[in-house]
Amino acid sequence: MRAGGADGEAPLGSGFVLLWVRELATRMRDQRDYLTQLDAAIGDADHGINMDRGLAAAMEKVGGMEAESPGAILEAVGTALIFSVGGAAGPLYGTGFRGLGKALGERRRFDPEDLLMALRAGLEAIQNLGAASQGDKTIVDAFAPAIAAFERGLRAGEDLATSTARAREAAEDGMRATVPMQARKGRASYLGPRSVGHQDPGATSTALLFSALERAAGRGATERP
Amino acid sequence: MIQSVRRAALILKELGSSPRMGVTELGARLGLAKGTVYGLLRTLEDEQLVERDGETGKYRLGPAMLQLGNAFLDNHELRARSLLWAESLASRVAEAVRVGILNGRKVLIVHHVFRPDNSVQILEVGASIPWHACALGKAIAAHLEEDRRLELLDTDLARLTGRTITDHQVLERELRQVARKGVAVEDQEAIVGEAEVAAAVFNHLGAPVGAIGVAGPVERLLERGLAPDVVAAVRETARSLSREMGAGRVSAHAR
Repeated sequence: MRAGGADGEAPLGSGFVLLWVRELATRMRDQRDYLTQLDAAIGDADHGINMDRGLAAAMEKVGGMEAESPGAILEAVGTALIFSVGGAAGPLYGTGFRGLGKALGERRRFDPEDLLMALRAGLEAIQNLGAASQGDKTIVDAFAPAIAAFERGLRAGEDLATSTARAREAAEDGMRATVPMQARKGRASYLGPRSVGHQDPGATSTALLFSALERAAGRGATERP
Repeated sequence: MIQSVRRAALILKELGSSPRMGVTELGARLGLAKGTVYGLLRTLEDEQLVERDGETGKYRLGPAMLQLGNAFLDNHELRARSLLWAESLASRVAEAVRVGILNGRKVLIVHHVFRPDNSVQILEVGASIPWHACALGKAIAAHLEEDRRLELLDTDLARLTGRTITDHQVLERELRQVARKGVAVEDQEAIVGEAEVAAAVFNHLGAPVGAIGVAGPVERLLERGLAPDVVAAVRETARSLSREMGAGRVSAHAR
């Protein structure tokens, strides 16, 4: 599967998107207990369980969609998350994936610039629903810097694999930066100063989203099958 | 007003809003000289209202604060009377129940019964939620005297989620509807994914003293519209609680 070759006009397609979702599902399964443990400190201790269940449901739904457009696949992932994940994570990630999918529209192939545009649309959808800004100790604190780093990479002429690696690094930095923050959104905000000193579970799962993206991009471009 | 008492109170509130602070930082935040802050802290420490961390030398709230906080809850009439009602409401609808009072422009949660399913949940007693973003707040506001209600409406309505009602006219219209129906509904207006159905509790003067509500995941509470059994349970509980609070002809207000 060639997902991110540097030669073609629009190197990305359904295979790339499906790989991204599969890599994400694997990470949610592997990190389920860790995410839940983070959530136990400032939430309902269900983030890992919810995300794992949601991605498993999404994988089941998009498993046979290779022939569909990348946008349709991402929208289906979003819908699956909304309907199978409780708490705030389902609606937020679900809306984000639907935003990504809608932004890609009907096109069968897309390039890294389209991916950047779609990621922006995904974040915008998340922010429209959650009304969170950077610094509120949420998903946004990992998502926004990741997009900015991805864009810097593309502008510097770097290939998809390198740019997504930069995005993942920035997402992880953003994730770690949530530790000293006081939550201003969601149930964690009810804890006031007690939310300080804990890494945000949502920012952590967003870092996994970009780690999965890096992996999907790297596989096609640089790794042997 | 006694200046030093005011200053001591401000120190306690500052310490209550951030984990721990040093004398210099507190002085800077309150615009007070270090010596003044230090003297106040020493006195508060002597009363165990604050304590000093031996390692960092920073101050945090002390153990006497817990006793005072508990005493506030124990002496709160609505909370005391709501304990059993909240418990039975929670088991009747199998969701979490919260009791709140209006404190300035926020609703202070004074009692919280967990959803009876053995899941991990955060105790929300002590949480403050902007009144316009929660069902408890809307239930109370809908029954306030007009000038008080307009006063609340005439404030900045912060956006907590994309669904928070931030338009004054829309909110005013909704409050009229709440007053008519006797229940307020919150659809992810404070937290994404969370909903609540609440009704006001009245005292012997027919004035709202607080509200009681059922809170839970939006997909369970509101998926197929507002569940009539939840509405009925909340209304009945609020009415019984009002009667205990001395409300006479509650129906005139609650309906």
